Amino acid sequence: MSPDNLDIQNSLDKDLIASVTDLKVYFESKQGMVHSVDGVSFDIVDGEMMGLVGETGCGKSVTARTFMQLVQSPPGVLAGGNIKFRSKNSKSGSQVIDLLDLSENQIRELRGERIAMIFQDPGKALNPGLTIRTQIAEVFQEHRENDVLEKAGLKNKLTGVTEYFVKKYIKQEAGFLVTTLLKIPPLSTYKKKIDNGINRLVAEALEETQIPNPTKVMERFPHELSGGMKQRVMIAQAIACNPDLLIADEPTTALDVTVQARVLDLIKELQKRHKTSVLYISHDLSLVRRICDRIAVMYAGQIVETGDAETIFNQPKHPYTQGLINALPSMSHERGKLEAIEGIVPELIEPEPGCRFVSRCKRRKANCKKIDPKLQPISEVDKSHKVACLLYES
Amino acid sequence: MVKNTQNLEIDEVGFNDSAFKVRLKRNLEILSNVLANPTTVLGLIIVILMLAMAIFAPIITEPNTPDPYQMPRDWKAARSAPLTPGHILGTTNRGGDVFYGVVWGARTSLKLSILVVTLTVVLGVIIGSVAGIVGGKVDEILMRIVDVFLSIPELIFALAIAAILGPSFTNIILALVVVFWVKYARIMRAQVIRIKQREYVDAAKIMGASKLQIYLKDILPNSFSPVMVQATLDMGNIVLVGATLSFIGLSEAGIAEWGVLVSEGQAGISAGRWWASTFPGLMVFLWALAFNLVGDGLRDVLDPRTETKR
Amino acid sequence: MTNSKNTILSLRNVKKHFPIKEGVFQNVVGQVHAVDGVSFDIGAGETVGLVGESGCGKTTIGRCVSGLEPLTDGDIFFDLTPEKLVALEDFEKHQSEIKNKHLIDEIQSTSNISKIEGDDFYNYRRNCQMVFQDSFSSLSPRQLVSDIVSRPLKIHKVCADNELIPRTIELLEQVGLGKQHLYRFPHQFSGGQRQRISIARALALDPKLIVLDEPTSALDVSVQAQILNLLHDLQKQRGLSYLFITHNLSVIRHMADKIVVMYLGKVVEAGNTEDIFSNPQHPYTKALLAASPDLSEDVVSDMAALDGPIPDPARPPQGCSFRTRCPVSRTECGWEVDDIIRRLEHHETLIDSIKSVEQPDAFNAKFTFETSLSATELKDAIGTNDIPKQMRKAIKKIEVDGNDVNISFEPVQTVPLVQTDNGSLSRCVLVNK
Repeated sequence: MSPDNLDIQNSLDKDLIASVTDLKVYFESKQGMVHSVDGVSFDIVDGEMMGLVGETGCGKSVTARTFMQLVQSPPGVLAGGNIKFRSKNSKSGSQVIDLLDLSENQIRELRGERIAMIFQDPGKALNPGLTIRTQIAEVFQEHRENDVLEKAGLKNKLTGVTEYFVKKYIKQEAGFLVTTLLKIPPLSTYKKKIDNGINRLVAEALEETQIPNPTKVMERFPHELSGGMKQRVMIAQAIACNPDLLIADEPTTALDVTVQARVLDLIKELQKRHKTSVLYISHDLSLVRRICDRIAVMYAGQIVETGDAETIFNQPKHPYTQGLINALPSMSHERGKLEAIEGIVPELIEPEPGCRFVSRCKRRKANCKKIDPKLQPISEVDKSHKVACLLYES
Repeated sequence: MVKNTQNLEIDEVGFNDSAFKVRLKRNLEILSNVLANPTTVLGLIIVILMLAMAIFAPIITEPNTPDPYQMPRDWKAARSAPLTPGHILGTTNRGGDVFYGVVWGARTSLKLSILVVTLTVVLGVIIGSVAGIVGGKVDEILMRIVDVFLSIPELIFALAIAAILGPSFTNIILALVVVFWVKYARIMRAQVIRIKQREYVDAAKIMGASKLQIYLKDILPNSFSPVMVQATLDMGNIVLVGATLSFIGLSEAGIAEWGVLVSEGQAGISAGRWWASTFPGLMVFLWALAFNLVGDGLRDVLDPRTETKR
Repeated sequence: MTNSKNTILSLRNVKKHFPIKEGVFQNVVGQVHAVDGVSFDIGAGETVGLVGESGCGKTTIGRCVSGLEPLTDGDIFFDLTPEKLVALEDFEKHQSEIKNKHLIDEIQSTSNISKIEGDDFYNYRRNCQMVFQDSFSSLSPRQLVSDIVSRPLKIHKVCADNELIPRTIELLEQVGLGKQHLYRFPHQFSGGQRQRISIARALALDPKLIVLDEPTSALDVSVQAQILNLLHDLQKQRGLSYLFITHNLSVIRHMADKIVVMYLGKVVEAGNTEDIFSNPQHPYTKALLAASPDLSEDVVSDMAALDGPIPDPARPPQGCSFRTRCPVSRTECGWEVDDIIRRLEHHETLIDSIKSVEQPDAFNAKFTFETSLSATELKDAIGTNDIPKQMRKAIKKIEVDGNDVNISFEPVQTVPLVQTDNGSLSRCVLVNK
């Protein structure tokens, strides 16, 4: 991290919170290198909800995990590109960093504090052996010790050794000595205040996600909650620190439709209230259309189209996007006539040059097999709508 | 299997696989996965050598008369050190050739492990299947019995039974069977319960398959991997436990069995005659190690996680 | 209703309860009312969509229809001619008249799937097949495609041994696969292809009815389109009936002729697809439509998102099960004592100070508290906004007597399915108001 490097500071547009440029993530396999993410570029505007849409195997999840360096390596290999991120509220003010350039420690500081992530299966993301309170408290204790002090009414009231001990306790770094000392008055009163402060913060976080009876829910274990509740807990945990960017990887796929609607409303509301930017990953185009401002469509490891949600839905330009929309059951009332995209997704092992959709595309031309299409704006007028297709290249 | 009489059509479209070939290919694939692990290969080599030794024992050494499983006694050559002509590994205190003991001991071990493993697998699979399929009170009762058996340490249990039955090789087999069958019952029951909830079992019911058919075609084949892994591991461990029981004296004296040999050669160790115990002891170790390596290798490949390939 | 075609399936007041076992001896302490009185018909060549969220009982009905689960109560009739259907309906309405006793007996012994035996049973088995949601676990990983698809043929001895492979190839081709897929294992295929194999297996015996349990829910949208098109084509070619079970409303709108909406084991609305989508009657149906992302645009619905607890499926209420989450609930929906407790759960000290409860039925209860103060507290709490107005109005009597509080609700009858103006059936007190 080099905050003095002016180049990188100016490389991110003022209105963007993150920008992915030519990201390449490959996986080693017996048959060769799998190009799961192969030259992906897109921007996330500050304060917007950006949808990343694609079907199974297109690389959207891998892209999301790369933001937080959650891709296992081996077998994953970072083969190129960068992810620029504007960390707004960090201790040294606002700065732009390359997420892929950070060390393990640096990324750990960011995780949960500046960038948070929620997953598809809340059951798997929550620790079954810890109470809800413990899990959410951890976020505050790791990243928000000042808020904890404030809630406990102890901000700026402690000095010297006491302050040292208490802070160690908050950060869960208290050794045997400190823990024993904290059992003795007057230190024990401080400990109690800290505990209460943490409880209040956790309860507030749960309240914000509209979980009823937060104080009771706090003491429960994940398996005692329903799917919708667990998802809310995960959201509470994610936004507890008011992150700049929230990455949501299909968070509602496992939920019933009515529960899903409520969770989506909640995410949207929280986003507006805290002005959090959201990267929403899904395979459900209609869902993404409803809640996202902009959409990027992914196919076989590459972005094929980006633009406003409504524009993409009503005027899709890439043949894949068009096929995807026309395949929705709601698009045709005549049975047996859904437009199915024939064929299957190609293997991404050492892929050949040329458009990856060519074998399934109804509008292919001779050049499509040879030339890689580039993601470019459709027209000078509408620079925000970009397509990667030779049909639109001048 | 259906005889493929449609060869014309097969060749016509360049389609020249048959069910047999495809199954063979799959098994070879699994085998190659197993062999990809060097330690497994090591284990397998040792196993093959041991098996070869056991099978070709009569060829490798002159079988003793009248009973080849009895150690030969040659009082003249008693107690000689290794590497003398005719006695590569030395002799025991009764003049038996240690090398003979090693080779025929392998045969004994093979007999022991195959018998015990076969009996325990059959017994365990049957009882485990019944418990898993019938469920309810029958399951409860059977599993409580299994729990009782499992709560007693293997070695001590086997010891107790062998001691009660009296020292003999057959009784050791019996003792081991009594102790070891419960493992398979548990494994099989867990598998049966898991598999019978699968949708392909439902599909088989819906298409009208009989319960027996469903058990034989759907449940059993899909349950067998863990049983196979355990059986492989037990091939090694049975010999280990068996040798221990023999060592203690629960087997017959003077037979060509590694545990017995170790026991008989024990007294001579303090006098410097290390060979009579060491070589048979080494064999026990190698046998158990080899089968454990192969079993582990199998487990890595056949683990349920691997089965859900997409 | 087309009167000339057979009714392939007729469910009449089907109930399926699962016992709740507890303790070392597995004592039965209660019953989960997974399916609680469901009735509907499927005609020949028709697709009936069964819609609802998890826990509504739709999968259980699928399993009951295909014979995997025995019924706790009620009947399922298979393949009734129009005359038989009429006779059955008459019999149910006028139970005292034993006019057609012969016919009724015949129907029971040949068409009631809980009672049929022998050839009739085999006939039903051949004609009722199922396709499951999880394409991976519905195919045995150790069997080749040829084994899987030809197995029904072998079991029912449909053809000679040497015809098995050609017949299997035929079936594979009908679902869009081919010879080259015969000798492969399931794990070598994609999800969509595996579903095709499942469909081929289901078609092997040339059935009249296929139960489809979320057949495309695990598939990508583009693959789903292929499978839905395939299902439609097969239906047209063979005159198949489908029981299409799903939670996805846009799929059901596309595929189904009629829809049955389920909630907690009961049918809450049923009717023709277009009627239900253009003019939904039941508040739950409206909420489902509002919540579906790809439908909310062109579907008229003004339901707010649902809020509130879901009742215990082991103790279904006398009144409407949906009232606890319904945004337009009324006084007469069937409020019970349990609703009060649920609503006041956060008053922890109050709830903790309940010493005992006497509850002769769902509508009446006597709470005994530690102190008379707590008793009054309960009465006060009921007066607050924690208890919705319509619930409060349903309280007939609330008396504080020392440490006791007596509460009585106005009892209601079960809410029946009523025919609405547009021809659907709906189970709601608001119908036709």
